[in-house]
Amino acid sequence: MTENVLALTDVSRHYRGGAGVRGIDLSVRRGEIHALVGLNGAGKSTLMKLMVGMLRPSSGRVEVLGTRVDAAGLATWSRIGALLEHGLIYGELDCRTNLRLAARLRTVPTEQLGPMVEAILTELGLTRYASVRARRLSQGNRQRLGLAAALQHQSELIILDEPTNALDPSAVIALRGALLRRVATGTGILVSSHHLDEVARIATRISVIADGRMVGTLDPDGVDIERAFFATVHKAMAGIG
Amino acid sequence: MSTFLEGVAVDARKARSSRVLWSTGLLLVLGVNGLSTTIVFAARSGNAQLVAKLGPQAASGDWTAMLSAAAQITSAGGLLALGVGISWLYGREFAEGTVSGLFGLPVSRGRLAAAKLVVYAGWSLVTSLLTVLVLLGVGVVIGLGVPDAAAVAGLGRQFALALLTAVIAVPAGWASSVGRGLLPGIATSVGILVLAQVAVLADIGSWMPFVAPAMWALQPSTSAAPLLMVPIVPLLFGAAIVISWHRLQLDR
Repeated sequence: MTENVLALTDVSRHYRGGAGVRGIDLSVRRGEIHALVGLNGAGKSTLMKLMVGMLRPSSGRVEVLGTRVDAAGLATWSRIGALLEHGLIYGELDCRTNLRLAARLRTVPTEQLGPMVEAILTELGLTRYASVRARRLSQGNRQRLGLAAALQHQSELIILDEPTNALDPSAVIALRGALLRRVATGTGILVSSHHLDEVARIATRISVIADGRMVGTLDPDGVDIERAFFATVHKAMAGIG
Repeated sequence: MSTFLEGVAVDARKARSSRVLWSTGLLLVLGVNGLSTTIVFAARSGNAQLVAKLGPQAASGDWTAMLSAAAQITSAGGLLALGVGISWLYGREFAEGTVSGLFGLPVSRGRLAAAKLVVYAGWSLVTSLLTVLVLLGVGVVIGLGVPDAAAVAGLGRQFALALLTAVIAVPAGWASSVGRGLLPGIATSVGILVLAQVAVLADIGSWMPFVAPAMWALQPSTSAAPLLMVPIVPLLFGAAIVISWHRLQLDR
């Protein structure tokens, strides 16, 4: 069994105009939360898109659960949960139906759908919205629903792009608990954030990205890591300038 | 259940709750029937202008008039309605941002795209069948009588025309996929309509797959052989849709 559930090796992806990510090495091990922190436009979302096949790398290797992303099939993707950008939420469907459909697309057996959906509704505090159409939800609750769709099935790897966006404090606490419970069972989790939010602060490792490059790491147990984050970013940007 | 069938089941569930598909389908059924009935009444009242425009078949005010009018409306309005339907099936994923959730799934995007074609086929089939059944009912109610053998054949032709019109609207789904939204698909439907109408009016290109269904339905005496060209459209553009979804990158 491989130690890493996610591994990027010397990955680059260029956009027209010169933006993108360059020479990225990154890994997530089983049973850890790895936080990827960087300012807006640093390249976090590009990296995460590469991990689920939304983008193909210009060079380098991206592996999920030991398989190259472009070769990953049913057996691999059914063990991964991800939320990037909007997520799998259809406004005309209620929360419960949205979650059932998301689970079906992850080939969860029919007999498990009901209990699994009810469990995640409870875990993320969405039970009272279960029969509400997604288009009627607030932005925060839509984000909560997207997270529920990504977390509800048994995953060995979870990838979340800025998961605390629009969440209120109670939802952040619920999410933090949900992630810690999954990590305890051996799931590897990658979360991105543009600041050191409540989820990044429970990470086992914190990597800093700036201008498309990995520019350093932060000690999650360190004192004043907010200051250390900005110092790392400014040092990297000054080096580029 | 295979991942493809899971894709079909999921998209069928989405379609069932879709206001766009319900309203467009209803508009097609009621539009074809309402306008055809109006034309029959106008013909019976001796509206010379209408008869001049719609041709001698409409002048009779019987089943022939009803079905001729229905065929004309289906080949034009039906193409637009069906084009909106397939454009929505593909384009909404981009317009609403849900396409990002369709990556990293055990059900591949190629299979999801093919599943949408199956759902579109099902929706088109139900809409076409309803259009004909309502035509039959309305025809009897307005006094056209129980359809004779020719009228029954005409109703069958109307059903086939609606299905063939759905088939030639498939490029709109491809345009919505490549153009990443609803408007490219709708614009393509309008383009196909203009092409077909100009060709019919000019009496050219009856072998063209976009023209053949309307030509055959409006002039039953013409050969049905050009209809053999029609399957080229869904085969070619259906494959193009699946390939475009399989190769899709969200890089813009």
